[in-house]
Amino acid sequence: MSGKNKLSIKAFSLGLLLAMAMYFVPGMTSDAIAKEVSAEQVFAEEAFAKEVQAEEALEGEGEAEVEWSQDVFYKDWEGNPLKGPVSGFPAPELGPSDYNNYEFAPSRMLLWVANQQHLYFGSFVLAVPIFCMLIEFIGIRTKEEDPVMSAKYDRLAHDLMKVSLTAYSWTAILGGILLFTFITLFPGFFKYMAGIFRPVMHVYALMFLAESGILYVYYYGWDRMSEDKFLKWIHCSLAVLLNLVGTVLMYLANSWATFMQAPGGIDSEGRFLGNIWHVIHSTLWNPVGVHRILGNIVFGGGIVGAYAAYHYLTAKNEEEKAHYDWVCYVAMFICIFGLIPLPFAGYWLMKEVYAFRQQMGITLMGGIMAWLFIIQAVMIGLLFFAANSYLHNGMARVKGSHRYMKYCKYMILLLILCFTMWMTPHTIVMTPAELKAMGGAQHPIIGHFGVMSAKNTAVNLMITTTILCFLLYQRANKKINVPWATVGNCWIAAIFVGAAANIIFLGIYGYFLPANQRVGLSVPQVTTTLTTLFAGTAINISMFKDSESYGDIQWGSQSKVGTYAIFLLAISFTWLMGLMGYIRSAVRLFWHVTEVVRDNSVDAYTLTIGEAGKMLTFNTLFVWTQFVVVFWVGSLTGKSVEAKAPEGVPVPAQQQQ
Amino acid sequence: MLPEQHDILFSFIAIAFALFGIYVFANVILNCREREGANITKWGGIFGAFAIACFSMTVHMFSLVQADQLAFFFSTYLWLVVILLITWGVFLKSNSMEAQSPPIIRGFFFWTTVSLLLAGYTNWLPQQRSDPPPREAAVVGDLTMEEFAEMGRVIIFGAKQVAGQKSIGKGQCPLCHTFDPGDHMGRCPNLFGVEKRSHDRVKENRYATSPIAVGEVEPSSGIVKGKWDEVPEEYRRQHGPDEFTGEDYIRESVMCPTCYVVKDFGNDGDTRSPMPVIIKPPISLSRTEVNAVIAYLQSKDTPGEFATVTVPLPQDDAGNTGGAVVEDTSSDEDAPVFVTGNEDMQTMINTLGCPLCHTIPGIEGAVGELGPKLHEKINAPQRIKDPNYKGKATNTREYVRESILDPGAYVVFNEAEGESFPDGLMPTTFSEMLSVRALDKLVDFISQTEAPAGS
Repeated sequence: MSGKNKLSIKAFSLGLLLAMAMYFVPGMTSDAIAKEVSAEQVFAEEAFAKEVQAEEALEGEGEAEVEWSQDVFYKDWEGNPLKGPVSGFPAPELGPSDYNNYEFAPSRMLLWVANQQHLYFGSFVLAVPIFCMLIEFIGIRTKEEDPVMSAKYDRLAHDLMKVSLTAYSWTAILGGILLFTFITLFPGFFKYMAGIFRPVMHVYALMFLAESGILYVYYYGWDRMSEDKFLKWIHCSLAVLLNLVGTVLMYLANSWATFMQAPGGIDSEGRFLGNIWHVIHSTLWNPVGVHRILGNIVFGGGIVGAYAAYHYLTAKNEEEKAHYDWVCYVAMFICIFGLIPLPFAGYWLMKEVYAFRQQMGITLMGGIMAWLFIIQAVMIGLLFFAANSYLHNGMARVKGSHRYMKYCKYMILLLILCFTMWMTPHTIVMTPAELKAMGGAQHPIIGHFGVMSAKNTAVNLMITTTILCFLLYQRANKKINVPWATVGNCWIAAIFVGAAANIIFLGIYGYFLPANQRVGLSVPQVTTTLTTLFAGTAINISMFKDSESYGDIQWGSQSKVGTYAIFLLAISFTWLMGLMGYIRSAVRLFWHVTEVVRDNSVDAYTLTIGEAGKMLTFNTLFVWTQFVVVFWVGSLTGKSVEAKAPEGVPVPAQQQQ
Repeated sequence: MLPEQHDILFSFIAIAFALFGIYVFANVILNCREREGANITKWGGIFGAFAIACFSMTVHMFSLVQADQLAFFFSTYLWLVVILLITWGVFLKSNSMEAQSPPIIRGFFFWTTVSLLLAGYTNWLPQQRSDPPPREAAVVGDLTMEEFAEMGRVIIFGAKQVAGQKSIGKGQCPLCHTFDPGDHMGRCPNLFGVEKRSHDRVKENRYATSPIAVGEVEPSSGIVKGKWDEVPEEYRRQHGPDEFTGEDYIRESVMCPTCYVVKDFGNDGDTRSPMPVIIKPPISLSRTEVNAVIAYLQSKDTPGEFATVTVPLPQDDAGNTGGAVVEDTSSDEDAPVFVTGNEDMQTMINTLGCPLCHTIPGIEGAVGELGPKLHEKINAPQRIKDPNYKGKATNTREYVRESILDPGAYVVFNEAEGESFPDGLMPTTFSEMLSVRALDKLVDFISQTEAPAGS
C-alpha cells in the first residue's frame, strides 16, 4: 500500500461528512431550530415591549398614532398571536387588470418556465463553487505528498469554474427574464411582494454584485494566486467567501417563495407588521434552505457527472478516457453524498408544512397532490437504482472487487422489493367496477404497503443498501491488514444487520399505533439509517490503515451501462427537482400568498398530473439544451490542456492507500 | 396550455427534430467529403429530403393546436424520424465510417426518450383538475331543508364523488375527518354521530375547562368559549333557547376549533387544534354556508329525516345580511323552471338545461360532454343488464324515467376517460320541474335517441 493521498482521502471524506452534518444537524434538531425558540423569544419580547410602550403612549396622549395588529404566524411566549405595528398596505384584491397575458400561452406557464429555468441554472452555479472549494482544498493539502494528483485536482476545480462562469452570466440573464415576466404578467401581485420585500430585494441585488466580484477575482486570479503558497490559501478562502455569499443569496430568494407558501410577519389582511426578519424567516425558510443546498449539490454533481460522462464517450485517447472516468467518479461521489441525506431534509420540510397547516400537508400527501408524491417515489427509486447501478458497474473495474460483486444481485433484489413497496399508493381513483372487484378502497394485502409505516421502512432500507454498496465500493481493491480486521468486519455487519432489523421492527410496530403516534417512529428509523452512514463509513475508513492494494483501478474502463446510469441520474434528478418545485408551489392551490392574497387569475386552477408532467419534461429538455450550449460556449475559450494522467494509473485519493 | 394553444413540449421537440434533420444532413455531407467513393449526390439528396421533410413537418406542427399536434406527431412525424435514424445507420454502416452515431445524438435520444416516458407516465395516471372553489355558494330561491343540507354536503365533499375516495369540497373537511361509522383515519375525530354528541359534550366537565374555560376568549379565533350570544354578530344565532345548544357547539367547533379539542386529536398536549378556523382564509365560509354545513352534520346520520336540524333556512334567517345570495323570486324572470309538456321538444330540453351536459341527437346545439351521450335506444337495454346496475328499471322507458328522476341510481362509465361520469353533478330536482305530461313526452323522446348513422 502506498501512503500517498492518505491525507486526501481523509480530508475529502471528512469534508463531505462535516458538510453533510452541518446541513443535517438542523434537521435533527428541527423543533429547536425551526421554531427559532431563543431568537423568536427575543423578537417576541421586543415586539411586546414595543406594544407596551405604544399602549402607554396611547394612554398618555389619548389618541392612537400606531395601529397594532396580530401576526398570522408568529406567537408570543404564551402562545397568543404576536402583535406588531401596521407598517404597510393591505393585500390587494386582485382583479382582471392585475393580470396580463399573451395569446400563445397562459401566463402561469410562462412564469413557470422562466422560474424553473432560472432555478435550474441558479442551482448549478451555487453547487459548482462548493465542489471547487472542496476539490481545491484537497489539491492544496496533497501538493507536497503527490504534486501530480494535486495538479490534477486543481485543474479539475479550475475547469469546473470555467464552465460555471458562463453559466453564471446565463443565470443572471434568466433572472432578468424571470423578473420581467413577473412584472409584466403579474403586476398586481408583484407590486404587493415588492412592497413587503423592498429592502430584501435591494440587499439581494447588492449581494449579487458581491458574488460577481468575488467570482471574477476567484476565477481570473486562479493562475496568478497559484504561484505562491500563501496566495493559494487566500484563493481557497475566496471560494469559502463565494459560497457564503452564494448561500445568503439563495436564502434571500428562498424567503420570497417560503413567504408565499407559509407567510409570517404580516396580519390577516396582508399588512406588513414592521419586522422584516419575521417576513424573511417564516416557518419553512430553514428547511427549504437546507433542502435546496443538498439538492443543489446533487444536481450539480449530476450535471458535472453527465458532462464528464459525455466527454468520456467522446474521448479520443486512453488518457482522456481515464481522466473523465475519474471525473465521473468524483462527481458521483459528491452526488451520492448529497443524495443520501436529501430525503431526510425533505422529511423535515414536510414536518414543518404539517406544523404550519395540517390540511396543507394532507393536500400534499393524501389530497390532490398525492399522486405527484407517488411519482416522486418512482423518481427517487430511479435515482437510487441509477446510483447503485453506477456503483455496481464501477466496482467491476476495481481489482479485488470479485469478493463483493456476488452481493450485488441481492442488493438489487432488495432495492426492487423496497421500491415496489415505496411506490404503492394508499388509495387510487377507481371505477366502481374496479372498486367492487378489489373489495374496497385498499387492496386486502398490498394495501398494507400503502401506508407510511411501510414507505418509511422501504426508503430507509433503500438508503441503507446504497450506503452498504458504497462501503463495499470503497474497500473493493483493498486487502484489510489491521489487526482488528475481524472485529471491524463484525462491527460493520452488526451495524447493518441491526439497522435493518430495527428499521423493519419499527415499521411493523407502526401498524399497531395510532397515526399521530406512528409519525414519531420515523425519527428512530432515520437515526438508525444515519448511524449506518456515519458509523459504517468511519469504521470502514479506519480499517484501510496499512491495507494492501489488490491492484490499481482501471480508469478509463467504465462500462457503457455505468456511463448511461450517470445520464439517467442526471435526467431523473432534473425532472424530480422540477416536480418537487411544482408540488411545493402548487400546494398553495388558488392563493398567491397562502390565505392572504388570492389568485384571481384565469390560471388559478391546479393542473392535471398529465399537464404538469408535460411541462416538467419540457423544462428538463429545455434546460439541458441550454446546458449543452453553455458547455459548448465554455469550450470555445480554448481547449484546456488536459491534465495528463500521472505515470502509472491515476488512482484518486478515495481508492488509494 | 389551453386547447386552442400549441403544446409547449411537442412544439419544442418538433423544433429539436428539425435541427436534428439538418444536423444529419450536414454530418452526411461532411462524411462523404472525407471519404473517397462515397456518393455525395445520392446521400446528400436523400438526407437533404429528410431535412426538408423535418423542417416542413415542424412548420406544420405550428399550424396545429394541442390535440392535433399530438396526433400528427405520433402518427407521422415520429415515424419520419425513426426512418431517418435507420437510413442514417445504413449510411454509416454501408460506408464503414463509424460504428454508430455521435454520442451527442445518442445522448439526445436517451435524454428525450427518458423524459418523454416520464411525461407519458404522468399522462397514464388518473387525471384530476382542481378549480378554485367559488367565493360563496349561491342560494337561488326558497330552499327546502333537504336542499339546504345538500348544500352543506357539497361544501364538505364537493359536487363530484369519485369512487374509491372522498372528494374534497370548499370546506376541505374530508382531508382530516371521516364520516362513516368505524372509519377512523386517525387524523381528526370521526363525525359520525356528531349531532348526538353535540348535546352531550357541552355538559362534560372536560368541555368546561379544557383547553380554556368557558367564558374565556380563544386568541386565534377571537371567540368566547361557550357563549352563543357573544359569537360575532354576522354568524350569531338569531332565535332559540338562551342556553348553549348542540347547534352552538357545532358552530363553535368550526369557528373556534381550539375552544375544545377532542382527546388525542390536538397538538401540544391537546391544547391546540390543528383544524383551521373555517370562517377565515383559506376556507372562509359565509354565514349561510356555515349554517348549511351544520344542517348537513345535524341530519346526515338520519337520511331523509330533518327533525334534528335547528339552523334556519336562508330565507327564514333574520341574521342573513348578505352572506350568500338569496334571490328575489317574485319576478317572472327568476321563477323556478317548470315545463308543462305543451312546448316543443327542442324548447323543453333547452329549458331544462340538458344540452349543457349531454349530446342529444335531434336537438340542435345539444353537444355537451360532461354527461354521457344520450343514445338510449341502444344503450339503455345494455345498462340494465350491467352487473353494476342496481336500479329498478326493466325496460328502456323505465330506465330513462329513472335516470331523469333519480340520476344516482346508475352512474354511466365514461369509456373515453376511463372513469365514471361524475356522480352528483346532474340535478335531482327534475321531479319538481316537469309535469306528468312533460315527463312522459321527454321519456318517449329520449328512449328513441340513437347515434347518427355513420358515427
